[in-house]
Amino acid sequence: MKRYLTITTAAVAVGLLAAGCSDPTAGSGGADPSAGSAEWPAQDTDLTGTTLTIWAAQNSNTAPDAVVAGFEELTGAEVEVVTIPDPYEQGVQTKVATGDLPDLAFWQPTGSMLTALNAPTNLQPLDGAPWVDSYSEGLADITGILDDTRYAALITSPAVEGVYYNKEVFAEHGITETPTDWDSFLETARTLKSDGETPFFEMAGDQWATQWWVQVQLADAAQDGLWDRVNTGEEKFTDPTILGAIETYKGLVDEGLFNEDIKTATFEDQADALLAGDAAMAVQVNSFFGQLQAKADSAELDEKIGFFPISPTGNVGTFIPDQSNALVAFKTGAADQEAAARQLLSYWLGDGYADFVADRDTISLQDGVPTPESVPQALLDVHASLGESVGSMQALAVANPDLYIYLADMIQGTTTPEEVAQQTQDQFAQLARAQGIEGF
Amino acid sequence: MTAQTTAIPPMPPAGPSASRRPTARTDHRHRASHPATFLIPAFLILGVFFFLPTIFNFVYALTDWSSFKSEIGFVGLQNIQDLISSGTLLSSLRITLVYAVLVAIFQNLFGLLLALLLERDTKINRFARVMFFIPVVMSALAAGYVFQAILKPDGAANAILSALSGQPVTIPWLGDTTWTLVVVALIHSWKWMGLSMLIYLAGLKTISEDVLEAARLDGASAWTMFRDIRFPLLAPALTFNVATALLGSMNGFDIVQATTGGGPARTTELLNIFIFRTFGQGLFAQATTMSLVLFVVVVALAFPVIRTLRKREEVL
Repeated sequence: MKRYLTITTAAVAVGLLAAGCSDPTAGSGGADPSAGSAEWPAQDTDLTGTTLTIWAAQNSNTAPDAVVAGFEELTGAEVEVVTIPDPYEQGVQTKVATGDLPDLAFWQPTGSMLTALNAPTNLQPLDGAPWVDSYSEGLADITGILDDTRYAALITSPAVEGVYYNKEVFAEHGITETPTDWDSFLETARTLKSDGETPFFEMAGDQWATQWWVQVQLADAAQDGLWDRVNTGEEKFTDPTILGAIETYKGLVDEGLFNEDIKTATFEDQADALLAGDAAMAVQVNSFFGQLQAKADSAELDEKIGFFPISPTGNVGTFIPDQSNALVAFKTGAADQEAAARQLLSYWLGDGYADFVADRDTISLQDGVPTPESVPQALLDVHASLGESVGSMQALAVANPDLYIYLADMIQGTTTPEEVAQQTQDQFAQLARAQGIEGF
Repeated sequence: MTAQTTAIPPMPPAGPSASRRPTARTDHRHRASHPATFLIPAFLILGVFFFLPTIFNFVYALTDWSSFKSEIGFVGLQNIQDLISSGTLLSSLRITLVYAVLVAIFQNLFGLLLALLLERDTKINRFARVMFFIPVVMSALAAGYVFQAILKPDGAANAILSALSGQPVTIPWLGDTTWTLVVVALIHSWKWMGLSMLIYLAGLKTISEDVLEAARLDGASAWTMFRDIRFPLLAPALTFNVATALLGSMNGFDIVQATTGGGPARTTELLNIFIFRTFGQGLFAQATTMSLVLFVVVVALAFPVIRTLRKREEVL
């Protein structure tokens, strides 16, 4: 009896093992060869009885409100917006790995993040989408494309890393022109410091913004193909270009150009400090301005807050699309459901776009839809810098290592710049190897 | 994690009642009335929910399973080699061990003190026991977030200290690269001390009144009685409490994730948080390898600890 039991147990175990030892997402409609020439239903096709699910993060879950209301009324579909808790990307990747797919999700439209979702298997290709021609010049192909296939629909202006500054603090110290390159940028900071101001504010308590300081310093190198070389293993994070940027950042922190509570300060503290004039500048992205908008109205922001991009030899911004900028559509396996998801995207960037832009008070990406008057000047400046900006690590590198965590460790004083570069390189290589990229 | 209560089965009551081997005849009768097939449902559940995931853990650790591609290939010991050479695993493992030892000490200390304090069955004590048990049934994440709010630089803890000392206090309780680990261990112990208290209380109840009375007649002081009689007789309760606290906190995740998320500078990054982070990056095989390492470490720790503690009980 005992042996009989053992054999049964073993047989069951082996059977389940064989059945389970494959990627649960592998079979989900990935084999459809005709998916490339997907059909695009008219925006007002009747969808009564269809329920679409959109995954959104805590900071993007109200974005679809106007579009969803309009779409539900037009088509009779039901749209559910489900908030995935932060860290959003981790949560989504984990769910997708276990075969749990929404119809649509907010997603960072960069190559590395599309790869992280295994786009060819899990996402619907959006080639030939009806809205692509409506984009203003230069925006259609800026991001959202992996291996020549479009997987993401850009809905808002991608974020740009640059310097947000307090105009009143600048004026108080007689600074009338914004810095025109890295040297004059630091010169401005040192002038402010000698006048008793806090030139820069950094939020190492919340960690994630630390990487902007390194990335803006790499703008020139990025233009020169830095990330292509990193992607093939030809150049490393430990080589002088990137390591040098990390060392410069550390040097500026040690010089005392940053806020005293840099180790514990948070994203919220940073916005409060810049708005109150307790600090003069912060290197940040668009979501920072969103935080400022939560604290002050447009008139006050126009008066107090300005933006300029910065790079080693000029004013070139570094663009970094994030999760709130774009949507991806999943291959859920049901043709009707997938078509309905594409229809919602067509509506979002079609008839629904004007409502969306007005509701979010954001910059329009289409010439046919005007940007609301009430959009603050700083955001317009950010959008204007997009045209000649260069891609960030997230946009151009094949993998997205946790550079910000390692930099935050360095600010806490537990690691050196060399260690930061080495840890980032090791993780980059690990991620690249997992993707099967040659040279790692 | 709920592993706190499931890590090892409760100890049977200690004592000289060593199990007797059944004779051949009773064994036969026993078999007839308890056919082994009755075990099948239990074994199925055990197999599917416990053995199988463990086996998968070993299998996936040897593959390159990731979110980046659909195929899963065999890579041998590559994952283990990578982990050992990167050093992050060892530092997380060290942090996890320190955390587990701190929790085991604090939780038992608090639990024992509470049990001794609330030993007598008065109305107030019964009420207090319930109050101290509430954190045990509370959501660990909720407990973590509450403490995160209290311990923020501008949180309640500093506000109270400021009011008491008359000057502004801004201690970053969760921002110190050395002591924050102790703070989170204290929070973990606070949450689970009610359970230890309950087990110690049960242990105290089993001590025969005769023994205590004899000691009292011999003129033993309260401290002598505790040191020489009550504490040694609590050995089974101590075994259970130390083992569950130590091994349960090896699997710790929720409280630390909610209070510090592993920071500052990853000085409170327990192995489970590291695993969570790695898994979230899509490196599923590497994350599996790490949880395999955790499994091996917990097993390697569990046997000697439980054996040593059981040895203490033998004198009873």
